[in-house]
Amino acid sequence: MTDENVPTWEEVARDHGRFLYTVAYRLTGNDDDAQDLVQEVLLRVRKGLETYRPGSLEGWLSRITTNTFLDEVRRRRRRPVDALPENPDWVLPPTVGADEVLAGSALPDDVQSALRRLPPDYRSAVVLCDVVGLPYQEIAGALDVPVGTVRSRIHRGRAMLREALA
Amino acid sequence: MSDDLLEDGHPGDGLSALLDGELSPLEEADVQAHLVGCMACRQEMEAVQVARLWIRALPPVEPPIGLYERMLVPYRPGRRRVAMAFVGAAAAVAAVLVSVAPARQQPVSPSVATLIEAHATSSGDGDLVTDLAPAGVPVSVSP
Repeated sequence: MTDENVPTWEEVARDHGRFLYTVAYRLTGNDDDAQDLVQEVLLRVRKGLETYRPGSLEGWLSRITTNTFLDEVRRRRRRPVDALPENPDWVLPPTVGADEVLAGSALPDDVQSALRRLPPDYRSAVVLCDVVGLPYQEIAGALDVPVGTVRSRIHRGRAMLREALA
Repeated sequence: MSDDLLEDGHPGDGLSALLDGELSPLEEADVQAHLVGCMACRQEMEAVQVARLWIRALPPVEPPIGLYERMLVPYRPGRRRVAMAFVGAAAAVAAVLVSVAPARQQPVSPSVATLIEAHATSSGDGDLVTDLAPAGVPVSVSP
């Protein structure tokens, strides 16, 4: 693969499969939806629907993954039958007793569960920042929102997650 | 104080920006100075700091075995041999069809030439619209 060339989906699957699945899993919170998301991302890569910007390939992939995820969330909202329990009010709070959460430690499953209960826009910003490690400017470009909005979503997302595991 | 502080005088999301190294040195100094005297912001800072560390400590997730292979070959591994056998059989059938194709070539009846001629002669004055109109489409064009 050269810098000018869009990576093929086979290259993406072979070289970045674990990264892609991890981002998809952190966004969706379950294996089935993560697999569907990965498949859709590879389809977009395969069809050449996403403009490849030479640079961080994983940054590019996580942008596609997040946008595909948010597209799907919006699609499901229009069709309430398929709606995921995205709204925190619709789902039971994670059963984490105060004794189980010591200060400074949390079980990955509990963190993932709390992450899933964040509104999708906040969750996307938090995942791009804390899972992928993108700078705010790049997250703003990926989500097509101002940097100030990214900053606010990350901060509020973290605060909500901490509150959920308090 | 810089405009990173909210209207109520507290840094708010500037705290996360500080943790992420997204503030200018000047902004950072402002927020740090504010933290010294504001217990509420120190607590908020600690909360988002802990959440940030928890999320960053999440391990990579291994994709299910065969996830990408299934996408590269759109059959389940267990059915792959069946699928390949089917493809093989289809190829064999195609080869037979190709080999017998010349023998099966027969003149189309009636011939295309005859059809064209018949339709050409049926149009009285050669006006396509007039000829098509009786076919059921009411031709009524108002200005």
